Amino acid sequence: MRFGYTRFTVTVYSVFIMFFVSITGYAQKVVRYDLYVKDTTVNFTGKPKRAIAVNGQIPMPTLTFTEGDTAEIYVHNELNEETALHWHGLFLPNQYDGVPYLTQMPIKPHTTHLYRFAIVQNGTHWYHSHSGLQEQIGMYGSMILNKKQEPDIPTVPVILSEWTDMNPKNVHRMLHNASDWFAIEKGSTQSYSEAIKQGYFKTKVANEFKRMTAMDVSDVYYDQFLINGKNESQLAQFKPGDKVRLRISNGGASTYFWLKYAGGKMTVTASDGNEVAPVEVDRLLIAVSETYDVVLSIPEVEPGAPSVAYEFLVTSEDRTKSASLYLGEGIRQLASPMPRLKYFEGMKMMNGMMKLNGNLDDMGMNMSLNQMDMNVVMYPEITGTAKEKGGKARTGIKKEDEDSMKMDHSSHNRYNSNAMSSITTLNYAMLKSTVETSLPADLPVKELRFVLTGNMNRYVWSMDNKVISETDKILIKKGEKVRMILYNNSMMRHPMHLHGHDFRVINGQGKYSPLKNVVDIMPMETDTLEFAATESGDWFFHCHILYHMMSGMGRIFSYENSPPNPEISNPKLAQRRLFADDRAFHFMAENDFATNGNDGEAMIQNTRWSLGTEWRLGYHDHHGYEVETHIGRYIGKMQWLMPFIGFDWRYRKINPDVQETNMFGQRSTKDKRSVLSVGVNYMLPMLVQAQAEVFTDGIFRFQLERMDIPVSPRLRMNLMVNTDKEYMAALKYIFTKNAGVTAHYDSDMGFGMGLTLNY
Amino acid sequence: MNIQRIWMVWLLLLLSPALYAEIKNVSEGKAKILGDCALCQQGIEKAGYEKNISRVSWDKDSKIALITYDNKQTNLDAILKKIALAGYDNERFLAPDQAYAQLADCCQYERMVKTKVNSSAGADHHHLTMDNEPSMAGSQEEPLKDLLMAYYAVKDALVETDGQTAAEQAKNLLGEIKAVKMGQLPHEQHMIWMEVMNDINMEALRISETKDIEKQRNYFSALSENMYKVLKVGKPKEAIYYQHCPMAKGGKGANWLSPFATIKNPYYGAQMLSCGKTTETIQ
Repeated sequence: MRFGYTRFTVTVYSVFIMFFVSITGYAQKVVRYDLYVKDTTVNFTGKPKRAIAVNGQIPMPTLTFTEGDTAEIYVHNELNEETALHWHGLFLPNQYDGVPYLTQMPIKPHTTHLYRFAIVQNGTHWYHSHSGLQEQIGMYGSMILNKKQEPDIPTVPVILSEWTDMNPKNVHRMLHNASDWFAIEKGSTQSYSEAIKQGYFKTKVANEFKRMTAMDVSDVYYDQFLINGKNESQLAQFKPGDKVRLRISNGGASTYFWLKYAGGKMTVTASDGNEVAPVEVDRLLIAVSETYDVVLSIPEVEPGAPSVAYEFLVTSEDRTKSASLYLGEGIRQLASPMPRLKYFEGMKMMNGMMKLNGNLDDMGMNMSLNQMDMNVVMYPEITGTAKEKGGKARTGIKKEDEDSMKMDHSSHNRYNSNAMSSITTLNYAMLKSTVETSLPADLPVKELRFVLTGNMNRYVWSMDNKVISETDKILIKKGEKVRMILYNNSMMRHPMHLHGHDFRVINGQGKYSPLKNVVDIMPMETDTLEFAATESGDWFFHCHILYHMMSGMGRIFSYENSPPNPEISNPKLAQRRLFADDRAFHFMAENDFATNGNDGEAMIQNTRWSLGTEWRLGYHDHHGYEVETHIGRYIGKMQWLMPFIGFDWRYRKINPDVQETNMFGQRSTKDKRSVLSVGVNYMLPMLVQAQAEVFTDGIFRFQLERMDIPVSPRLRMNLMVNTDKEYMAALKYIFTKNAGVTAHYDSDMGFGMGLTLNY
Repeated sequence: MNIQRIWMVWLLLLLSPALYAEIKNVSEGKAKILGDCALCQQGIEKAGYEKNISRVSWDKDSKIALITYDNKQTNLDAILKKIALAGYDNERFLAPDQAYAQLADCCQYERMVKTKVNSSAGADHHHLTMDNEPSMAGSQEEPLKDLLMAYYAVKDALVETDGQTAAEQAKNLLGEIKAVKMGQLPHEQHMIWMEVMNDINMEALRISETKDIEKQRNYFSALSENMYKVLKVGKPKEAIYYQHCPMAKGGKGANWLSPFATIKNPYYGAQMLSCGKTTETIQ
């Protein structure tokens, strides 16, 4: 089958489509869905891969209810693994919220679980698996809650998602091991050769001096982006002059999407299931797990002209790829594609904001609500196309203008894209509820402050530098007004989602502050949210980027004196299993099969602990054999410091005439040695790892090492020198995610070339 | 002579596979692609070319392209989409306006479909709302509405520093000036319109005749003054903001009209977009 660019085939082992809608009595309508969760094979890229389909389809079927209905959803787990479904944005009894080990025990393989709750709201919502990484491979679907009287406008549910051919567990593991394979695939390595070519050498050096590796706006490379499961599709039923409402949910695991329409402006009428005063925009960025209702109109054509279909263009935030939905029939009018990001401008901006201690400095800009978007420096459509070497811009803003701009009155608008261009981009300050949302003034207020924290190099994501398993539940009382003040001190944006409640986003609209359940917070932004505590039980509050959540970026709000959850028979066990997610260890290994020996390392790490071993194994006794093992714990928010204990074993046959001493005059026992050690690692500017280690035989060693200097997009250089008068230099060319070739020179083993395999 | 011929045969034998055997699973298709000159031909063929996958050969006179491609790797839709993204309307895809505008002058072919102007003023502004409220923009009630929209479109092009579009929109404005139904204007407005009509027309014409943005801005300043004179005596359904930038025209200052209170300065574009203030609100 062919749809435009893509070959899209869904092979399903068996297809169940079972919809029972039964009506009992007049008073209450029970709407029943049966969901059969089953393994399947999909082919989005030409290679068959495992995915999970529900009722034989990806995305999962759209569930539609009307306010006042009772939902009965039977989940038949036909997988060989556990699952659980979360109804995103819904108000419901805690036991049906669908977070495994928090609000229920997971649905065991080959069993059926019933979710039964009253539908007490309306709006665009969605549902997804909250178990492991299943959301990445197909377990997301639209959930439309209609008003009893919906406006008379054609409406289409739209769910956006992404696909990677890689097993998501592997994605998660690679992120934790700071693999830059995704950057290579995206073309965003930001290496020294690219920096020099584009005239940003100083920027790159400054960036590494501040101990940053190359940043991107998103972490994972995806093979395909999908609108309702397809990369390209058409809604041919619409005619010129029609208006269409798209009820859009972002079901992507880690991708924000830019939305644009070739037929003119888009009118935003709701967010996260809550109506807002219609606002016209040229584009909007939908955060992971947000929903928006958007009304599009299909322009009239002049009489006699051929009919035209207009592209609704969905582009990933990193702008690597896009998906299209054509509205109408006929020749297809394309929207302008989003130009690639100017990464080095972003790097320069980041350098300016990053203090040497790793904290961010907003220079007094008091950013909030996505109004100031630091990323505009990377957007060619706002700040002009990338400059060639020599600092001359090809189009857009000329260099002189840029300088005058900085000095001029627009300094306070430097990052305000709506002021800088005629393109109107939606931000949270533009959302105004259609109804009053203020909470009673006499409620007692509980104020909570959170700092969103993270460490890109080690992929640790946390709040107040603590992951879920390191914190207690946050107790709240029914009847309180909970106010949260969130500040993002990490280098990535985070879509923070609260289960079971809508919060008011304090955005200057006073009584009409919009209600949402997801708020995207960019680096250095501060946002204030408040909600009325009206429920009971335990509710998850977390970053909705799947891999951030699994790393422990979240908290649990727990109502005091809640009745026990009947779905959780053993709360202690449940908590331990819940905490297992962010306590998990991630494994990596690398070995260079070289002409002069084997050179490699293996490591398992989690949020705080690291167990690693390095080896250098020659092919004969003169070259020697050496293994060093370290167990350490990372200290501090930036995790630059790691004290460790170690064990070192080596054997080498050397000429007895040769006396080896280190720089301190201590005689080396290189030929045969088996010692314990204590030491400390510290990350220096320029990402140089300093290591001081003292061994039980009294020998002291100090070492400087810099790994993975990005020389060119695929070329890496390693350098090492220590007080044992050992040194090493290596160049590695990366071919695939698991293989490369290395040429290195080592003071012990001499020159060697080899094949490097890594996992 | 003979030896030379043998060499030629050898060369041909060697070259022919090199030239033609590169694309496997060959399919061929024909498609109409718009363009006007040799530069277009280059652009079209380059956009459709992918090594060992697709090749396009376009004929300037018939506008027909012969497309050769590997049917296991790609398809006609994908190739024509790439060509449209490079700025060339074709039988399956229309180029984004921006891509078209960036084509060389000689390549500014006549578009395949004239879509209605999508200025940020949005002629559709208030019937896009969900409630489907009845359209209020009827030219019956506001005889100058279409004129104003066309003026806004020129202004938006200047905000974008896009001389090409400004000229096109000014042409459109000329049409709207002619289409104004004077009989429907209130008496006072009718009188002022008669007075400034010719000037407005002249200024629009001048903007349409050049692509030099600085000249266009100069004429636009005069055009705006005249538009203001006409509009300030009316009672528009939607507010019109009369805005002023003291720095424009080398410090002399200049005015313009906008449907939004937010400043988007047409005299400097991105350079000083938010310079200026609203001096009067007509409503």
